[in-house]
Amino acid sequence: MIEKIHSYLNTKVAAAPLISFRLIFGALMVFSTVRFLYLGWIEDHYTDPIFHFKYWGFEWVEPISKTGLYIIHYLMILSALGIMFLRGIAYTVSAVILFLGFTYTELIDLTYYLNHYYFVSLVCLLLIFMPNHISPFYKLGEQKVKRSAIFILKFQIAIVYIYAGLAKINYDWLIQALPLRIWIPANDQLPLIGPIMTWEITPYLFSWIGMLFDTFIVFVLIYKPTRILGYIAVIIFHTITGLMFQIGVFPLVMMGIVTIFFSEQWHQKFIRFFIRKEKSFSSPKQFITKKLILNYFIFIFVIFQLAFPWRYLLYPGNLFWTEEGYRFSWRVMLMEKAGTATFYVKDTKTGKEGIVDNSEFLNAHQEKQMAMQPDMILQFAHFLGKHYAQKGVYKPEVRAEVYVTLNARPSKLLIDPYRDLMKEKDSFTSKDWIIHYQE
Amino acid sequence: MKKYLAIILSIAILVCGCKKKKEEEVLFDRELMLKNYAENIILPSYKDVQSATSSLISAINTFDSQKTLMNLELMQEAWIDAYNEWQYSSIFNIGPAAEQGLSKALVEEIATFPISSTKIDNIISSGVYNLNDFNRDARGFLGIEYLIFSGLNISNDSTLTLFQSQPMRMQYLKDCATHIKTKIDYVTSQWEGSYKAEFISNNGTDVGSSTSQLYNAFVKSFETIKNLKIELPMGLRPGQIQVEPHLVESYYSGNSLLFIKTHLKAIENTYHGMSKNQNDGIGFKEYLESVIGGPELVQSTISQWNLVLSSVENISTTTPLSQQIISNPQPIENFRIELQKHTRFFKSDMSSLLGIAITYSSGDGD
Repeated sequence: MIEKIHSYLNTKVAAAPLISFRLIFGALMVFSTVRFLYLGWIEDHYTDPIFHFKYWGFEWVEPISKTGLYIIHYLMILSALGIMFLRGIAYTVSAVILFLGFTYTELIDLTYYLNHYYFVSLVCLLLIFMPNHISPFYKLGEQKVKRSAIFILKFQIAIVYIYAGLAKINYDWLIQALPLRIWIPANDQLPLIGPIMTWEITPYLFSWIGMLFDTFIVFVLIYKPTRILGYIAVIIFHTITGLMFQIGVFPLVMMGIVTIFFSEQWHQKFIRFFIRKEKSFSSPKQFITKKLILNYFIFIFVIFQLAFPWRYLLYPGNLFWTEEGYRFSWRVMLMEKAGTATFYVKDTKTGKEGIVDNSEFLNAHQEKQMAMQPDMILQFAHFLGKHYAQKGVYKPEVRAEVYVTLNARPSKLLIDPYRDLMKEKDSFTSKDWIIHYQE
Repeated sequence: MKKYLAIILSIAILVCGCKKKKEEEVLFDRELMLKNYAENIILPSYKDVQSATSSLISAINTFDSQKTLMNLELMQEAWIDAYNEWQYSSIFNIGPAAEQGLSKALVEEIATFPISSTKIDNIISSGVYNLNDFNRDARGFLGIEYLIFSGLNISNDSTLTLFQSQPMRMQYLKDCATHIKTKIDYVTSQWEGSYKAEFISNNGTDVGSSTSQLYNAFVKSFETIKNLKIELPMGLRPGQIQVEPHLVESYYSGNSLLFIKTHLKAIENTYHGMSKNQNDGIGFKEYLESVIGGPELVQSTISQWNLVLSSVENISTTTPLSQQIISNPQPIENFRIELQKHTRFFKSDMSSLLGIAITYSSGDGD
């Protein structure tokens, strides 16, 4: 069995799908980085805020200067071009810069966590270990790679869709059609499809279609006779969600990269449509990655991706409410949640308690994300404690009154409003100061 | 088969969309709501504050020509009237009243508080000022209040003497009033002109939509009452060691409570979509009633709002708020508590149910 898998993965196959994956993914990275700069998000996300929410284990990541961040983004644009057109060591170095640059900027502030940013980071990581002898400028028929290279990318895409689909199999999504019953009617002004958004049945249809689409689309794309239909579905699905929700470049990314499931011939035509001339193939000096390390890496990567999203099973309570084990698990657009968080800082010598105006420290997006996620509430509480200790409040106690509404239900207290959060630490253990949700 | 089902259904839905237009049933028409806001609430509020400001300017001119105690009092009344009218408009810092380039939102441009009496005194003694600089705490409605009321324990006789002995005080007063008028005129003319149609037709729920802008302005204005008008003067910010009565809105004439009540009324009207003469049109309340979970939220909101209103009525009207903060803070604290309880209903619960986008960043993609 293992022998079989081994030889299946080590079989040499046409490199064209990987070459065009690099072209498409690189182009999308250029586009999304330029868009990010154009929208002024370096300032809005990184340099304007006074406080940044950290990722667990990455508390040491700080935003560098504005100039530094611009340079990083320019380097990302160059390295994205690098993974499109370069080969050999130059390609691998580009992939490393792209991965480090993108991942660094994502790690600056947890507020902006998105599953698709995580996905982009993972793809960049995988690209570092990809065979680097291939190039769109050489005869495509002569360029081969081990099947494992293309397999691991397909695997990653499959994980995103299938896990997103499985996450939709829950009572609220399928039976209540929530949160779509909230979101869909708000889209009644869309051209062409607007009127459909007001029908009572639409949220139910979209919920079920969404679940079935996510869960099965990869299989539809793998199976040759259904591939074209599958891709049409991909285009329709991502176009509609792209129109309805404020989800940035993600629909484009998915429409672009699922072409990896297409045939070798399609990819050859695709590449030659853009790059007409081809030189005969010569193997460049390879950047040597020890085969053994690479195989172990792929093995660990696959196991991690399969297992990590299930960690929520180890925590008590309603996942959507506590969000313990929620991130990095491909739970996308699953719930409508919002909160109002009021923080109280008490001077333990005088006993005087003050009320914080969150907008003094957080931008609107940070406040919105913080007010419904316990780990972010805790981080902000600790920030406030330190901040006001410096301002002369003696050994501050910080507590928070947080009311959260989940999928249109009346809001309730999310955490114990009397708990001194300065005494709590974030870890992988369950947070006993969360008040569990009861209907 | 399941895989086909998904595809066929999604195509089918696209196709159906073109045929079945008649089935629009309990559909809420945001455009009607926006029209009601524009025509019956926002524009009238600007027109009212515009004419009240004109009256203030003529009262100032009368006082300028005849500096009598009576004319001073008439001018003070005109100011109270104008600033009271302003409370209704102070919510709508959107479109022409929003922050643009160097100019801040209208509420910051013409109604910043607390003002800096030191800056104003310096202007009067030096005669040097620029109404377009960043010293917004040296002008605006509340700068005028300082000029014409001087202070709680200062008699009108003394104020009259100040005006007689300081020609610069008169000059600066006139310039500040004209400055306010210019700003209000601009916003009013924009609403009377092209902006109204733009506002009504921008009828989506995305972040730049009129509904989203109006909602954000509404919540921000509501929060101002608790955060700035009550908590700060009560010394309730962490690190504040004592009450700071001079931080109230309208410190110098002692009309804080009157203006807070009008502000509450303006918030209430906006929520209901109600005009000043109590014509109840389509507003956020009706919008909420049309969405899932909305009727329950409207009920909780209104019952909590009644507690807010009854708590503010328990604050004495005979003593200025800045003094009661020291002498009898409990009723004010009760009012603050009710506002605090109310915040979630307006803030997160409402935006969540309405599906209004409130920030520009990309959300999580499907």
